[in-house]
Amino acid sequence: MTQYVAKRLLLLIPVVIGILLITFLMKALIPTDAVTAMYSGQLSEKDAAEAIATLRAKYHLDLPWYQQFFIYVRDLLQGDFGDSIRLRKPVMEELGYRYVNTIILTLASLGIALVVGLTAGILAAVKRNSWLDVTATTVGLFGISMPAFFFGLLLILVFAVWLRWLPVVPKGNLALLLPALALGLIEAAPISQVARTSMIDVLSRDYIQAARARGASELELVVRHALPNALIVVLTLVGLQIGNLLGGAFIIESIFSWHGIGELAVNAIQWRDFALTQAIILISAATYLVVNLVADILYAWLDPRVELST
Amino acid sequence: MLNRRQFTLASALSMGAIAVSGTGVVRAATPQVARFRLPIEPEGLYNVQSISAVVSGVLGNYLLEGLVYLDAAGKAQPWLAQSWQASEDGKIITFKLKSGKTFHDGTPFNAESVKFLFDTILDPKSASPTKGIVGPLSKVETPDEMTVVFTFSKPFAPFINLLGQSYFGFNSPTAVKAAGNAYPRHPVGTGPFMFDKWVPGASIELVRNPNFKQFRPDAANQGLAYLDRVILNVMTEDGVVTSALLTEELDAALLTADGVAPFQSDDRYTIINDQNAKNLMFMEFNYKKAPFGEKAFREAISYAIDREAVLAAAFGGNGKIALGPLSRGIPGYDDAVAQKYGTPYDQKKAKQLFDAAGWVLKDGVRTKDGQPAKFTIRSYASSSTERALAVIQANLADIGIVVEVGTADWGTFYPGLLKPDWDMDLNRWTWSDPSVMSQLFRSPGHRQLLPANDAIDNALDGADTALDTSKRLAFVSEAQKALLEDRRILPLLTDWPMTVTRKALQGYRVDYLGYVYGADLKIASA
Amino acid sequence: MSLVLDEPIMATPPRWRMFLLRLLRNRSALVGGTILLLLVLSALFAPLLAPYDPFKVNPIQRLRPPSWDHFMGTDEVGRDLFSRLIFGTRYFLLICVVTASISASIGTLLGLLAGAGSRFVENLIMRVIDVMLAFPYILMVLVVVAILGPSLWTGMVSIGIAGIPGYARLVRSAVLTVRREDYVLSARALGASESEILFGTILPNVVSPLIVYLAFSMPLAALVTSSLSFIGLGTQPPAPEWGAMLVNSRTYLFSAWWAVAGPGMALFISIFGLNILGNGLRDVLDPRSGR
Repeated sequence: MTQYVAKRLLLLIPVVIGILLITFLMKALIPTDAVTAMYSGQLSEKDAAEAIATLRAKYHLDLPWYQQFFIYVRDLLQGDFGDSIRLRKPVMEELGYRYVNTIILTLASLGIALVVGLTAGILAAVKRNSWLDVTATTVGLFGISMPAFFFGLLLILVFAVWLRWLPVVPKGNLALLLPALALGLIEAAPISQVARTSMIDVLSRDYIQAARARGASELELVVRHALPNALIVVLTLVGLQIGNLLGGAFIIESIFSWHGIGELAVNAIQWRDFALTQAIILISAATYLVVNLVADILYAWLDPRVELST
Repeated sequence: MLNRRQFTLASALSMGAIAVSGTGVVRAATPQVARFRLPIEPEGLYNVQSISAVVSGVLGNYLLEGLVYLDAAGKAQPWLAQSWQASEDGKIITFKLKSGKTFHDGTPFNAESVKFLFDTILDPKSASPTKGIVGPLSKVETPDEMTVVFTFSKPFAPFINLLGQSYFGFNSPTAVKAAGNAYPRHPVGTGPFMFDKWVPGASIELVRNPNFKQFRPDAANQGLAYLDRVILNVMTEDGVVTSALLTEELDAALLTADGVAPFQSDDRYTIINDQNAKNLMFMEFNYKKAPFGEKAFREAISYAIDREAVLAAAFGGNGKIALGPLSRGIPGYDDAVAQKYGTPYDQKKAKQLFDAAGWVLKDGVRTKDGQPAKFTIRSYASSSTERALAVIQANLADIGIVVEVGTADWGTFYPGLLKPDWDMDLNRWTWSDPSVMSQLFRSPGHRQLLPANDAIDNALDGADTALDTSKRLAFVSEAQKALLEDRRILPLLTDWPMTVTRKALQGYRVDYLGYVYGADLKIASA
Repeated sequence: MSLVLDEPIMATPPRWRMFLLRLLRNRSALVGGTILLLLVLSALFAPLLAPYDPFKVNPIQRLRPPSWDHFMGTDEVGRDLFSRLIFGTRYFLLICVVTASISASIGTLLGLLAGAGSRFVENLIMRVIDVMLAFPYILMVLVVVAILGPSLWTGMVSIGIAGIPGYARLVRSAVLTVRREDYVLSARALGASESEILFGTILPNVVSPLIVYLAFSMPLAALVTSSLSFIGLGTQPPAPEWGAMLVNSRTYLFSAWWAVAGPGMALFISIFGLNILGNGLRDVLDPRSGR
C-alpha cells in the first residue's frame, strides 16, 4: 500500500509539470496582457505609456514566455505564487479565503447531493419500476437538464422572493444554503443514477437471493449488502465530480454572490491577470489530484478485490 | 419594512439568531443603516491606483472630497478650495484652500495634502492611471499652508472641471504613508462617511464621520450625515439584485433597463434617471481600410441607422438619441451644431448616397468594382451592445450592406482595434469633459488609424488649451462641427443610468457628475 | 459456439432489429427518441415551420406577450420568439454533434491505444489524460476563447476537447476487459494483426458502453456550451442559440417571463429528452442495469 501511494505521488510530478507548461504556452498565445488590459479603455492610455512600461517590466511581461516560465517556476519553488497585477497584492492573499469559500460550498453541496442522490437512488432501486422509481429518475433528470445559472435564478425567485424563506443577499450561515442547494441538486442526479444501477446489480446477485430465501428482511439486505457496494461506486464518481467542481461552481458562485475561486477564475482571465489564473489552475488541479488519490485509496481499502493499478 | 413575516418564520424555524439579526427586526432601536449594491468588488479604494467607475463612485459618494464640484449647470464651484486664479499665459493655476477640514484620522487638510496627491500621481513609480488625465501638469508647489500652485508645460483647459471628479479627491497623507501597500483597503478621506471594514469578496462597510463639516452649499444636509452606517454589498448578477430590492434587502441599486422594468409600476420604489449622463454610444470607422476611408461611404452609413430603434432595443428607451459627437451632459455640447450637421435616420437618403458613390444593388447586396458590401462590426460583449448591433445589422441589411457581428470581452476587443484589420466598431465612452473628443479623434486617434485633418485637429487643440470659458466653448463647438463634417464619428445615443431606490430611502439625488450626496441619505421610519 | 436449445428454430432476426424492437418497447427511449426526432425534423424544416424571419428586428414590437400573431411572444428587439426557437434547433443539434464527435473520436482513439498499446504508450496517454482531467475545464475554455476570440465554433471545440478524457478512460477500461475475452485471444491465435484486432475485433465490442456514455455526455456538453454565453463567450449575436437567448433574457424573469420561458423550456425539454433517451439506451444495451 505504501509503495502504491508513493508511486501515485511520484506520478503527480509529470502531471503538474504538464499543467504548468500548457498554461504558459497558452499565455504566450493570448494577445493581451494584464497591464494592457487594465489601462486600455481609460482615456489616459496614450499618456499612460510610461506607467504601462514600468508595470510591464516590473512583472516581467516584456520577456519571452519561456523566460517568464523559468522565473515563475523558480519563484514557485520558493513558495511564491507571485502578485496579482490587477489587485496589486500577492495572489495568495486573494486566493486563500476564496479557496476556503469554494471548499465550503463544495462540501455543503456534496453533502446535499449525497443525501438526495443516495436516497433517490436507493428508493428507485428497491421499488424498481414502481411510480416511485419513475418519479425519482425523472425528477433526478430535472437538475441536470437546466443550465446552472437558470436553475440558480429560479431557486432565488422561489425561495427568496416568493416564499421569503431565505435571504437574497448572503448573510450568516444561511447564505450557503441556496448556492449549495443549486449545486447539490445538479450533482445529485448522476449520483442517484449510479446508486440505483449498482444497487440493482447487487440485489440481483445470487448471494442476495439466497439471503432473501433465508428470510433476511429487505431493509437488512439493502443496508448490509447493497448500500456498501453502491457507496464504493459513488465514491469514485464523487472524486471525478470534484474535478468538475470549478466548472459548475463558477456560474453558481457569481449568481449567488458567493465569492470563491470559480468567480475569481472568470475575472482573472478577463483581466488577463496571469499570476492569478496560474495559481487558480494549480490549486484546483492539486485539489483534484489529491482528492482522486484519496478516493482511489479508499476504494481499494473498502473493496479488497480491487487491485491497485495505476 | 422588514418584516414581521420574515421574523416569525425565521424564529419558527429557530434560525432567527443567525439569519435575521441585523436585518432590521428591531429597527426602531437599531441605527440607521442603508444597503447599496456594488456590481463588482473594487480592486482597492485608492484613486491614485484605480479610476474604475465602481471605485470612483464609492470614493466620490461617501469618502473623499475634492477642490471643486460642478454645479447644476456644469460650472466648477469651490468646495475644499476657496478660490483659484489662472496666470496670463494659462500655464499656472493658483488655488487658495478653505481651512477647518480634517481627515478621518485627524490629520488637518492643507496645501500639503493637495501636493501629496498630485506628487504621488506624477511619480512614475506609482504607475497611476490618473497621470494621463492630468496630462501637461509638471509640478505642484505650496508657498504657504493654504495655497497650492499648479504649473503646466502648456495650458490645460479641462483641468478645473476634471478636479470635480473623485480621481482628485484627497487621501490623508499620514494614512497613505503609514499603511503603504495596505492603504487601498483602508482609505481615509474627509467625506461624510469613514471607512469601517471590508469583508473580502462580500461587502464594504462605512460609518458616519462624527467630525464632518459640509463645505458644499448645494447639499440639502449641512450637518453630519443622517445614516449611521452604509453597507455596500458586492452583487454581480442583475436578476439577483432585482430580487434583493424586492425583498427589501437592498435600499438602492444601479440597474440596467431590463432590471428596472419590474419596478416601473410599483409605488414602493422610485426610479432615478441620471439625465445628465455623460456617456455616448457611437460607431467609428477604420480609415485605413477601404472603403471606410471614403467620406461618401461613411456618410451613407451614417444616415442608415435608426437611433430610436437602437435606443429602444438596447436600453428600453431610457436615454436620448445623439446626433452630435459630445454627450448632452457634457458642458459644451452644441445642439445647434448637432441638428445642423448631424445625420438623422433617413433610409432614402442613405440609398441615394450609396447609389451616387457607385455601390450598385444586386440581389439584395450592394457591390462596387466587383467588391460586395460585406463587413464586420466589432464590439465588446454586453447585452446592450448585442441588442444595438441586432438593430444596426438589420438597418444596414435594409439598404444592401451585409454586416457580421464580432463581439469579445473588452480586453480582447479594445486592444484588438490597434491592428488595422477591422471595418467598423460600436463603442461607448463616459467622460465628463469635451476633451473626450481629442482623446478619441484628434489624429492619429485613439486607435492610431486616423489621418491628419486640420479643421478637426486645430479646433480640438484650441479646445484643450483655451482657459477662457467662452473661447473654449467656441472651439468645442467648432470641433463638434468638424468631426461631424468629416463623418469621423457616427453618434448613436446616450443612455441614462438608472437607480432603483426604495421609497423609504430619502435624499437620494445625484449631482452633475453623477455622485450621490452621501450626507443627505436618510431612511424614513415606517 | 454452443447450441442453445431453447432458442426458436427460426433464424434469429439480425442484431440491430432485435435492438430496435427492444428500444421501441422501452418507455424512456421512446419518449426521448420522439423528442430527438422532433428536434431533427424542426431543424430540417425550420424555414417551413417558422412563421417569421428569425432575424427580422422590429423594435416597435419589442417584448410583446404571446398573442395570435406571435404565439410565444417577441424578444427584446421584437423578433418572433417561436421562429427563433425553431431555428435554434439547428444550433442545438450542431452543438451536440460537433462536441460529441470531437470528444468521442479523439477520446476513443486514445482509449484504444492506451488499452491495447505498449506499456509506454499507455503510460504516456494516461498522463496526458490526467493533465486534462486535472486542468479545470472551464479555465481551459476561457483561455482558448481568449486566444481565438469568442465564437460558437471556439466554444464547441473547447468543450469537445474537455470531454476527451471521459471517453478515453471509458474505452481504455472496456478494452482492458475485452482484451482477455476468448474471441480476441482466438483472433490473435489466428494471426490477425494488432490493428486488425484493435479496430476489427475490440472496437465493435466496446461500442455499446460507448453509445450509452455518448447519450449521457452529449446533453451535458450542450448544456455547458449554452452556459458559455453567461460569461459572454458563446455564440455571436444574432444567432438564435437557445443558451445565448436565455442568458440575454434572464433579467426579464420579473417583467417579461415569456422571453425567458421560451428558450428555457426549449433547452430543458431537449436536454431532458436526450437524457432519458440515454437512460433507455442503457437499459436496452446493458440489461444488467435495466428494468
